[in-house]
Amino acid sequence: MILNYIGSYSLLFSLLISAIIFLISIFSIQNKKESIRNLNKLFFFQFFLVLISFLSLIILFVISEFSNTTVFNNSHTNKPLLYKISGTWGNHEGSLILWLMILTFFVFIYFLKSNTRPIRERLFTIVFQEIIIIGFSIFLLKTSNPFNQVIPTPDQGLGLNPILQDPILAIHPPVLYLGYVSTSLIFSSALASLICLNVNREWASFIKNWIFVSWIFLTLGILLGSIWAYYELGWGGFWFWDPVENISLMPWLCLTALLHCTLVLEKRSSLGSWTIILSIVSFTLSVCGTFLVRSGILNSVHTFANDPDRGVYILIFLFFLIFSSLIIYFLYQDKIISNKDHFNFLSKESSILINNWFVMYFLSVVLIGTIYPIFLEVLSNEKISVGPPFFNKLIIPFLIPFLIFMAIGPNLKWIKAKKFKIPIRLSILLFINLVIAFLVLKIFDEVTLKLTLLLTASFYLFFITFKDLIKKEYKNISQTISHFGFSLLILSIILNSFLSKEIITNLKVGDEINFQENIIKFKKIESSFSSNYQSLIGYFEINNKHLFTPEVRIYDQPEVITSEADIKTNLFKDRFLVINLVKDNDYLNVRYQEKPLMIWIWLSTILITIGGSLSFIKKYEK
Amino acid sequence: MKNKYLLTIFIIFFTFCFIILFKGLKNPNTYQPEFNQNRVLSDFTSTEFFSDEKIKLSTIVTDEKYYLINIWASWCIPCRKEHKFLIKLQKQEKIKLIGINYKDKFKNAKNFLNDFENPYQIIFKDKNGIVSIELGAYGVPETFLINKNLQIIKKIIGPINPKTYNEIIEIIK
Amino acid sequence: MYGKKVKLRILFLVILLSSIVLTIFLVLKSLEENVIYFLSPTDVKNLNEIKYDKIRVGGMVKNNSVKINSQKITFIITDFKNEINVTYSGLVPNLFQEDKGVVAEGFLKDKNYFKAEKILAKHDENYMPPEIKEKLGEK
Repeated sequence: MILNYIGSYSLLFSLLISAIIFLISIFSIQNKKESIRNLNKLFFFQFFLVLISFLSLIILFVISEFSNTTVFNNSHTNKPLLYKISGTWGNHEGSLILWLMILTFFVFIYFLKSNTRPIRERLFTIVFQEIIIIGFSIFLLKTSNPFNQVIPTPDQGLGLNPILQDPILAIHPPVLYLGYVSTSLIFSSALASLICLNVNREWASFIKNWIFVSWIFLTLGILLGSIWAYYELGWGGFWFWDPVENISLMPWLCLTALLHCTLVLEKRSSLGSWTIILSIVSFTLSVCGTFLVRSGILNSVHTFANDPDRGVYILIFLFFLIFSSLIIYFLYQDKIISNKDHFNFLSKESSILINNWFVMYFLSVVLIGTIYPIFLEVLSNEKISVGPPFFNKLIIPFLIPFLIFMAIGPNLKWIKAKKFKIPIRLSILLFINLVIAFLVLKIFDEVTLKLTLLLTASFYLFFITFKDLIKKEYKNISQTISHFGFSLLILSIILNSFLSKEIITNLKVGDEINFQENIIKFKKIESSFSSNYQSLIGYFEINNKHLFTPEVRIYDQPEVITSEADIKTNLFKDRFLVINLVKDNDYLNVRYQEKPLMIWIWLSTILITIGGSLSFIKKYEK
Repeated sequence: MKNKYLLTIFIIFFTFCFIILFKGLKNPNTYQPEFNQNRVLSDFTSTEFFSDEKIKLSTIVTDEKYYLINIWASWCIPCRKEHKFLIKLQKQEKIKLIGINYKDKFKNAKNFLNDFENPYQIIFKDKNGIVSIELGAYGVPETFLINKNLQIIKKIIGPINPKTYNEIIEIIK
Repeated sequence: MYGKKVKLRILFLVILLSSIVLTIFLVLKSLEENVIYFLSPTDVKNLNEIKYDKIRVGGMVKNNSVKINSQKITFIITDFKNEINVTYSGLVPNLFQEDKGVVAEGFLKDKNYFKAEKILAKHDENYMPPEIKEKLGEK
């Protein structure tokens, strides 16, 4: 098939162009002949070639060309068109092409949008960015070329894992990748500005846009993944502290801290080196995530044959990035010009700094919980896993001061609060919230000290941001909306976690079971056929009015069973019913859950990203 | 000079991390069957591919020849690559080939054999993968060279390549 | 006497150091408490004493060992050398089937008896239990 050749040759040529760009940039830096004009065509071609190879892979998937190994391994003729297309990036090889495509796209955009920056800094950014592109290109071509051929051509493919055949999961990886990949630009630009001694206000306000882009996409990506896990995996939760989830959370935490840091750098020209460190760490964590997921090092049970070569390559690349950025950082770190004024304790910047440290603490907890099992296994040969209690125990108590600082911080002034006096109105509000939280918990009979304080803090943030939202004539609308969204998120998570009810039982047709005020009745079971799966549909009636029809699907290619939960959503709570087959047996495994305020978790996260996006609109209006 | 110390500490720390992760990659932390060379293969009974008869391994392994037990599947791409070696080995005198069809559909597997020629003397079905796990296999393809006492002489993880092919030829000469 | 600034600085450093030490201590302590060990049935057999910590037991679900009634599910996990009986009441994942890999999380009652709180099954695309396939075929 000609497309196989087109795809793999355009990849090769794009690698060649990347090398040319790299050499040109190095050359111009050395000779101080710092002209940059003719590079834009090369950037365009570099992106265009990767785009071509990506498109040819998509076409190969659409026409089900099984002479291509990737298509053969991940597609099947009877799959719906949407999943043929999304199958392109649902696998290792294809997702790497997507990664590379976004990488080349972003460097192209960077080139077009960075006119305001000094040429030397741009050249250095390009050098670092091209090193990353070349690294990934070689990785792609050497260890996971998507255009390998199967000879002779099989007449049918192996199919895409049905768990991945889902509309949300079709767009989840691209969105997440946009987030991951744009951190690479922050990384390169940070190093470049460090070398060119440009860590200043102008750089901060330039890089802020990129940070927002990557933060927004990452937030959306995590949200999509979480929604998918909620309804597809049938566990009825939205966050499991699973290593794969943690990996996307870590760069997010880091970017959140970085976002706030650049604000300080922009307004006060301080925290420069801290901003640089966070920029480096964000991208390192993104690559680290790729390493952990792609190498299979995280899988601990029953994994058959993984390709260790891939892991080794990314590992070496990851540590190459870590060491080189470490050395560059230490070489130039003294030269960062920083505002030597000390922060006043009651100023905006010190509250940002304090919360930054909290975020760093959360980040280290997540990092340790995720990689500790790997370290222990190597050192002592013991297989362990770290469960949700670890994270909950270490993170929740520290959320309380975090939320309070988050509420107070934005209302403080930059540089210095006038005189040290305890703001009476704020303390009264805090006290009122304590009472509210206590009463709310009293109603549900859940009073514990930790929960009361946590609820107080989140109510506090909620009311303060709410007040800002209606009062402050849109002075900093983007920040207010995001913080308001965050308080809503925390509130919904807390209320959701202690008000959730569930029952898990085994039922057969005709059975009835009482669950608190609900009567769950298993009426009948039916089976039906669809193009690429067969399904068993259970009919359940709750309180004689809500009909639930959860499904068990048995896919043909490959043969996998999935459960489709039936979820009834309203503004107050979700009712969630999922069934599983256990064996050739009359009993079905049934789980019924009532999850209050579930929809608010999604809505508030969307609100947070809307807040982030508003910062752009505001800028363009200016 | 404070920075120099800090840098060294960081470098040592990250080198340590690198070594650990590298080791972690090398010994994959999977729940895995044991790897034993010079071990006696545990005898098993499984259904024959075409006839569906139950056959015990030790009832076939009787002559003085060598036997090559090859775990394969129609969906496994490296299996296609090693197939030409199996065809060549089949033509050798002192060796017989026994196939274990791992987690496969009968129709697909039969088509595979029709397309590529069948090198095996006998094929066992391993519909759910248990035989392979009991043999101590890591995945497909995998090959065991055994003698008539069911002693494992050589074990090849992954597809047979020219090098391992020559090694087999050396052994059975 | 030291100036006010120096005093503040020392205070700041002391607070910083002590909070770092405190967090490291906290993290290590809760790691110790919340770590779940992974054992095979043979590892369980070889245990010297039964600890009442949460553990995970992994292996294959033995053929014909799954029994289900309205309260609970019982089955046997085997690694082809040793076996362990498991009882469980809760949600069973889709991938939980006989002759398939499984990981159960819970507490050991004795060396032959395990009370699971959670069941995790690993993905394996190329296999589906025949019973279920047949059941669908009939309908």
